[in-house]
Amino acid sequence: MTVAGEKIVVEDRKSTDTALVIGGGVSGMQAALDIADQGYSVVLVERTPSIGGVMAMLDKTFPTLDCSACILTPKLSEVARHPNIELMTYSEVKSITGTAGNFRVSVLRKARKVLEDKCSGCGDCVPHCPIEVRNEFDQGLGYRKAVYIGFPQNTPLVYTIDSENCIKCGMCVKSCEREAIDLDLEDEEIEISVGAIVVATGYELYNVANYRRFGYGRFKNVINALEFERLINAAGPTAGNLMRLSDGKIPKSIGFIQCVGARDATKDVPYCSRVCCMYGIKNAVMAKELQHENVKKVTIYSIDIRAFGKGFEEFYNMAKDRFGIKFIRGRVGEVSENSRNKNIIVRAEDTTTGKFLEQEHELVVLCPGILPPKGLRDTANQLGLQLDSDGFIHVEQPASNPVDTAVSGVYICGCVEGPKDIPDSVAAGSAAAMRASITLWREGEH
Amino acid sequence: MATEEVPRIGVFVCHCGHNIAGTVDVERVAEIAAHYPNVEFATHFMFMCSDSGQQLIRDKIEEFSLNRVVVASCSPRMHEPTFRRVVEEADVNRYCFEQVNLREHVSWCHMREPEAATEKAIDLIRMSVARAALLVPLEVKTVSVEPHTLVVGGGVAGLRAAIDIDSRGFKVTLVEREPELGGNLAKLSTLYQGNEKASDVIERMVLAARISENLTIMTDSEVVDVEGYIGNFDVTVKNNATDKTEKLRVGAIIVATGFQSWVPEGIPPYGMSLDVITLAQLEEMKRDDKLLCPSTGKPPKKVMFIGCVGSRQPGVQGHEHCSRYCCTAMVKAAADITEITDEVLILYDDIRTFGKGHEEVHRSAHEKFVMFSKFDRTKPAKTTVADGALSVKWRDILAGDNLEFHPDLLVLVTAMIPPEGVEKVSQLFSLTRSADGFFNEEHIKLAPLTTHTAGVMIAGAAQSAKDSTDSTTQASGAAAKAASLMARGEVEIESTVAHVLEELCSSCHTCATACPYGAISFDTSKKPEIAVVTEAECHGCGTCAAGCPSSAIIMRHSTDEQITAMVEAFLMPPPVMGGGDS
Amino acid sequence: MTATVTISKEWIPRIAAFCCNWCSYAGADLAGTSRIQYPSAVRIIRVNCTGRVDPEFVLNALDKGADGVLVSGCHPGDCHYTSGNLKMRARWTLLQMAVEQAGINPDRIRLQWASASEGQKFADGVRELTEKVKNLGPFRRGWQ
Ligand SMILES: Cc1cc2nc3c(=O)[nH]c(=O)nc-3n(C[C@H](O)[C@H](O)[C@H](O)COP(=O)(O)OP(=O)(O)OC[C@H]3O[C@@H](n4cnc5c(N)ncnc54)[C@H](O)[C@@H]3O)c2cc1C
Ligand SMILES: Cc1cc2nc3c(=O)[nH]c(=O)nc-3n(C[C@H](O)[C@H](O)[C@H](O)COP(=O)(O)OP(=O)(O)OC[C@H]3O[C@@H](n4cnc5c(N)ncnc54)[C@H](O)[C@@H]3O)c2cc1C
Ligand code: SF4
Ligand code: SF4
Ligand code: SF4
Ligand code: FES
Repeated sequence: MTVAGEKIVVEDRKSTDTALVIGGGVSGMQAALDIADQGYSVVLVERTPSIGGVMAMLDKTFPTLDCSACILTPKLSEVARHPNIELMTYSEVKSITGTAGNFRVSVLRKARKVLEDKCSGCGDCVPHCPIEVRNEFDQGLGYRKAVYIGFPQNTPLVYTIDSENCIKCGMCVKSCEREAIDLDLEDEEIEISVGAIVVATGYELYNVANYRRFGYGRFKNVINALEFERLINAAGPTAGNLMRLSDGKIPKSIGFIQCVGARDATKDVPYCSRVCCMYGIKNAVMAKELQHENVKKVTIYSIDIRAFGKGFEEFYNMAKDRFGIKFIRGRVGEVSENSRNKNIIVRAEDTTTGKFLEQEHELVVLCPGILPPKGLRDTANQLGLQLDSDGFIHVEQPASNPVDTAVSGVYICGCVEGPKDIPDSVAAGSAAAMRASITLWREGEH
Repeated sequence: MATEEVPRIGVFVCHCGHNIAGTVDVERVAEIAAHYPNVEFATHFMFMCSDSGQQLIRDKIEEFSLNRVVVASCSPRMHEPTFRRVVEEADVNRYCFEQVNLREHVSWCHMREPEAATEKAIDLIRMSVARAALLVPLEVKTVSVEPHTLVVGGGVAGLRAAIDIDSRGFKVTLVEREPELGGNLAKLSTLYQGNEKASDVIERMVLAARISENLTIMTDSEVVDVEGYIGNFDVTVKNNATDKTEKLRVGAIIVATGFQSWVPEGIPPYGMSLDVITLAQLEEMKRDDKLLCPSTGKPPKKVMFIGCVGSRQPGVQGHEHCSRYCCTAMVKAAADITEITDEVLILYDDIRTFGKGHEEVHRSAHEKFVMFSKFDRTKPAKTTVADGALSVKWRDILAGDNLEFHPDLLVLVTAMIPPEGVEKVSQLFSLTRSADGFFNEEHIKLAPLTTHTAGVMIAGAAQSAKDSTDSTTQASGAAAKAASLMARGEVEIESTVAHVLEELCSSCHTCATACPYGAISFDTSKKPEIAVVTEAECHGCGTCAAGCPSSAIIMRHSTDEQITAMVEAFLMPPPVMGGGDS
Repeated sequence: MTATVTISKEWIPRIAAFCCNWCSYAGADLAGTSRIQYPSAVRIIRVNCTGRVDPEFVLNALDKGADGVLVSGCHPGDCHYTSGNLKMRARWTLLQMAVEQAGINPDRIRLQWASASEGQKFADGVRELTEKVKNLGPFRRGWQ
């Protein structure tokens, strides 16, 4: 739906007319939209320079393979344009006090050193900046300048100067025709009052280097799944050309190893990450699809294949039958490198036959599990929320009140509650919006 | 309507990263398009839907005074609203926008034939340019929204949605066809979420529903008729106990009609012995503390579960899907009954305990010595009955052994399938269904709660198999969609309706009999009488226009001329001006 | 340029397809997102419902040189507008007769039902019609 009009000024509104959403991933965005569509104001606080979360980094999405950017971009602009939403990117919540109907929130607005209302996103400053660092949005596979946007659809379309690497040479300042850059800008802390809060800070990936036997960090041709997503993404570091990091060759044979940092009590991650099976299959299919002439052999090593959602089993069957992806059931013992050609040798036991296998792949992709986001414990402490043993936010009555926390007026959605795919995160975003709007309505009545 | 402006068309060809440009020669396509009649400007761009792509469109509209815009990108089913908004922001009427589908209909389905794909793209754009030249601006209409929502189905999902809407201060009516609320959850014993009693959950929710101020509960009732459109649906509800009907006007509708658990009637081993039951039947026994073998009335000592019965069976209509609740419900039930039995065995293919806390339930089953054996779903276990005793044989594919078990009770863990009467519900609300038989959402990822019928939302197991946590999540979400509509109080509707040209109408009544909505009546004050369309009731299908023998009906935004122009542009391409050949 | 039909190259027939927005157009979208490959001969024209398809559109397409015409909509009972497809089905018999009377092989036209979840079915329908039309050869190729 399109809502037009002038942007709200949050400072002028009553706390009971305003909700705070922390985290601008796909679930937080949805929560913000569904609250704002009801006529309430929303402050959306996002830590990074852009909203979009992990979904913005993905290439395609299961189970129907539409491209992530294509379906996300209109949402990004809808959020950015919504008259009732105030975006605070590159910002963090510092403290929260108060109760439902009247929370006092202090937000740290990190100095982006580029004025949001002046920058037009032209990027003229970029070639002038002498500093080049790894782009975290590309999982460090590509490079960016110290004045940067992570990806072309960065929302808002405003550049950011990363103070850590900026040497204050002032080259960008001179190059900017709109005089949008001010290197002397400093962090700012502002206070807002809100009636309800939605926590949507998402998740983090398990560090697959913790499994030394899988060779990540030791062998160049062992990468993780998010790196793979960036490698096949047209806006990614290789402009979408799937290649090995050791020699730039197109890998003819790829192995995907599932459940790396999931369902493994010895690594303190006993739970299932819920999306890895499916994104593993998706990436396997995409490898075949993109490079059908070159990629001949794609194998997935897994324990169970958990294709549980709408259309998932159908997708799994398609991967097997139409794309010829090979599935091997069994935990991988270890991988090693063929020093001659840098290929990766995977040793696994096929538990359905009891046979030990040794297969050589030109590229191996580790599919990491999902962890609670960094800093969730701090956020939880500020709000008085409990965490589960897995580290995600605890829900008292999951069967009937799945987005309610123990604190009245505080709701959660998306992966902070536990791993979830996009449709489930989006539905949860809408649900948290509903519950938050009830709080605003009730508190506003008195 | 009759703004006789000269068309000035802009054509924007999208690369969509690799998605289109990897197959279609977008540069060439754009270059050729630049030479079509009325085209003032044509270009290609990486991502048309990105902010910079949108800005490009707005800038070029201004620069070239464009009054028609053609974007050749992905399916209009996703981005038509986006681009309509973009052109409106540059003061071009939304109905002067036309989208060409180069991705779903070209690059993705002809990936191995770049040349043929490029030819097809060229044709499709030419066709749309021809149509664009004939597009006319239409007035954008808004209608008011009745501040009242109808929720169909009183399971956990329906209850959650109704309670939320009530708490948000809006009027809501909950229609349930059974005498009691609670749906399938009310039949269960304890839930795998925290071992909570299912009856506690339902009682808590039913109580909340009963004490709420704005919520009307109609049990024993079914919706029998729906008329109208978003914001203003006229719904007829029939009470099956009294046969009385009641009419309601509602602004939004949430369909939460749930599922039924499949009973494999007539398919062995079901029916071979009274002691072969489904998990749903076992749950009812557990709930009532009467876990007894139906044949003997004695407590079972050995119980066996078989997973995925009727789920994950490709080739069988409505059964290819995974039912999502069952693995966890099965390991939970198995773990529960270890205390009152001697042996419990589970036959499974994959164990899909994916949700929060599910692995813990799975582990606790192992800790309680439930036996697990992996079998091959495509080679089902063989069950025989001798002297009333069950025997099951199968091959364990991890050990590679042929095994046999003699359960006192054999529990089939069966699929969730759409409930009885789903066809009727889908017709009433114009909902389509996916291959699993459940209702289709508007978009499988980013719009899982809304449907293609504006104003109608879906939630819970009605959308696809799922557990109560995922059902109530969707329910609150669907409630938010309804609340947004009601809070705003008005909503835009499509202007793509039928219109009768008085002079041409020959009073034959063909249209009136063709219209599925009775939207056409006759103005008898005129002699001869002429057909008139009640615009609010017209859904825009165009059946009347196709049937009218006098070509007296204009379908706005889908006129005969606009359609014919596309056909002719395809088959009789105009000569290309200025040497468009590259 | 593009429209010169040269029989010497591999001949690709020209098929106009009318697809309803709610089922078959969506089914064709699904065929695309599932990367199902099918012959490139069809050009899809989106209409709200197959009920919108005037037999005149089909005859006109043949008249203007289409080698085949496809009409694709929701399954009976599934029409987004309840019954537009039934109206189309009723007209279809008449249309087939008209086509035959005009001396055109009725195999050149096809009415099919393919839902939003039947990408494969949509693609199969296109393939089948394309094959048939290919066997029949070009239709009235001399219009230029
Ligand atoms: C490799 C891979 C592939 C995947 N593929 C698919 C797929 O094909 N289909 C699918 O459905 N799902 C897929 N997923 C899952 C998908 O990424 C998630 O479902 C989705 O991103 C969850 O959205 P979210 O909003 O909960 O979290 P996120 O996307 O993580 O968003 C959270 C946001 O909050 C911000 N944030 C964090 N902490 C703070 C803080 N303290 N203050 C302010 N902001 C903060 C973050 O910067 C981020 O922007 C995939 C996941 C991975 C890892
Ligand atoms: C054996 C078994 C064990 C389970 N265990 C668990 C568990 O431990 N934890 C868990 O979370 N989930 C469990 N589930 C799943 C849980 O039952 C469902 O997730 C939940 O019931 C879905 O709720 P719903 O409201 O969407 O659908 P339903 O419960 O099916 O409710 C739908 C309601 O709509 C009504 N209705 C249908 N059609 C019409 C119509 N045309 N007009 C009016 N009313 C209509 C029905 O009568 C019903 O009351 C289990 C399911 C089974 C079968
Ligand atoms: S800071 Fe200036 S030069 Fe850099 S992108 Fe913004 S407007 Fe352009
Ligand atoms: S949840 Fe488990 S038992 Fe149920 S269909 Fe899916 S895989 Fe089979
Ligand atoms: S377009 Fe359809 S709904 Fe509208 S008047 Fe004609 S037949 Fe009736
Ligand atoms: S809407 Fe598909 S045939 Fe009527």
